[in-house]
Amino acid sequence: MKLRSFTYAVLVVGCAFAIFPYFLTVLTAFKGPGQLSETLPWEPGLPPSVAAFDRLFGSGFGGYLVNTALVTAGITLGQVVFAILAAYAFARLPFPGRDVLFWVYLSTLMVPPVVTMIPLYLMMQKLGLVDTWAGLMLPTMLGTPYAIFLLRQFFRSIPVELEDAARIDGAGRVRTLVSIVLPLSRPILVTVTTLAVVANWNSFLWPLIITSSEDKRLLSVGIALFKSEIGVDYNAVMAGSLIALVPLLVLFIVFQRFIVRSVAVTGLK
Amino acid sequence: MLRAAPRRTRRAARYRQTVVAYALLAPSLVGVLGFLLAPVVIVIVLSLFDWKLLATPEFVGLANYRKLLTDGDVWHSMLVTLYYVLICVPGTTILSLLLALLVDRKLRWMKYFRALLVIPWMATPVALGLVWTWIFDPGRGALNQFLGLFGIAGPAWLSSPLLAMPSVAAVHIWQFAGYNMLFFLAGLQNIPQSLREASSLDGASSAKHFFTITLPLLRPTMLFVLITNVIGSFQAFDTIFVMTEGGPGDSTEVATYLIYDEAFRKFDFGYASTISVLLFAVVLIATISQFVYFERRTTYEVSG
Repeated sequence: MKLRSFTYAVLVVGCAFAIFPYFLTVLTAFKGPGQLSETLPWEPGLPPSVAAFDRLFGSGFGGYLVNTALVTAGITLGQVVFAILAAYAFARLPFPGRDVLFWVYLSTLMVPPVVTMIPLYLMMQKLGLVDTWAGLMLPTMLGTPYAIFLLRQFFRSIPVELEDAARIDGAGRVRTLVSIVLPLSRPILVTVTTLAVVANWNSFLWPLIITSSEDKRLLSVGIALFKSEIGVDYNAVMAGSLIALVPLLVLFIVFQRFIVRSVAVTGLK
Repeated sequence: MLRAAPRRTRRAARYRQTVVAYALLAPSLVGVLGFLLAPVVIVIVLSLFDWKLLATPEFVGLANYRKLLTDGDVWHSMLVTLYYVLICVPGTTILSLLLALLVDRKLRWMKYFRALLVIPWMATPVALGLVWTWIFDPGRGALNQFLGLFGIAGPAWLSSPLLAMPSVAAVHIWQFAGYNMLFFLAGLQNIPQSLREASSLDGASSAKHFFTITLPLLRPTMLFVLITNVIGSFQAFDTIFVMTEGGPGDSTEVATYLIYDEAFRKFDFGYASTISVLLFAVVLIATISQFVYFERRTTYEVSG
């Protein structure tokens, strides 16, 4: 009994600490025009106001939001589909070079993105893709070793017999994958997708480098630039941060149980 | 039952399977080989060139590396990076393990607590970096206001060369402790129930149970969490970019920031590539040595 109340006490403090910055964000984002951004966020006073959001969207934030949503959707879709195909080949098809390739894939997890940044930029320059959607999306879209690894682990845990039955009935590899393997893999697919969405939605360094025109600007870069472009308009920055968070929050709350379960199933050996 | 196929058809089938496999792999091969592996090779080649913006690249052999050896800024930034990693990795790992032990119980509302603790991980780092900048603000920031309640005059966290790094690292720990908690939680839940129950029998031996049974069984999870965190904290960029821009002075100028600065502000691609190679080598050594260490100590485990 004592242990239980102790657990709750620690959890409440821990959770308060985890969400405190968001609490500040909300209070600051809705501060009225009469209150300076310099004052304390929790100062009681004027009723909530959406003035900061008006200023934010007045300076192009709506466009960044749409850009980020589309780019995130596009990259994530590519990443997940291509990762499924690769993971299935690694999990189920014996082919020459499989083990070597798998180790090559895994080893690329160790490459810090900043190391590949210069060559990638120069490659995109050669291809004429600097400051284009393709240049922004292509490098992250095709190969995600992390997702491939997680999916492969999961696919291998599915009994082969289930697939054999379908194959004896004449279904091809792709058909088997789509109609047998994928429906059984829902938890890990949700997890991999969520991880990809969070990473892509929040990505900063590559968009900062590869795009320069404002009509291709993403949220992260936009928020970082707000810092300098409109002075430090903290109220607007906080309004932007809040908008950036909400979609991810909804996503996570909806899929939370899948994520914990799939992490447990894949075992992370 | 299927009859054994003649040899020729079997070989044809195997050939077909290889074709199918490589067809499935094709997009990711382009991505992994073209956009992850090839750039590593290219960056090594670039490190042998002197190449500034608009100038023609000129092969200079190991000149960049010679410059590197005596470049105080680079070694300073490597030390700063190491310092950052040495705060973040133990901090995140220990905190996330403690959190996992805490939420690994069947109590009411537990799933909401878990969800709340993971929220910092979803933070857009740039946005939350700005929120934290404000929390750390010496005059009007929440932290010093809070300390003020106890009559403590808080320091200027981010503009003090001594405190800036721990402050930025604290944000990193805040951001990733809950996320890593998920992996430890999964690891804990994979431990057989019979072994788990022993700890709740008597409180006195629960610490011993933790160190002799739980912790060794968590070793694979531990390896995963440590490695991903080491790699992750060597790459820290976003938060530092908005919180300190490497300052004050160069006290938070981690290697990634230095590389970004050399390449995309000073447009010295050759030298920036050389620093990239150095950073890559360090990450490689750090990762491999963890594998070796864990491999040597994990003898009982048969991977399946």
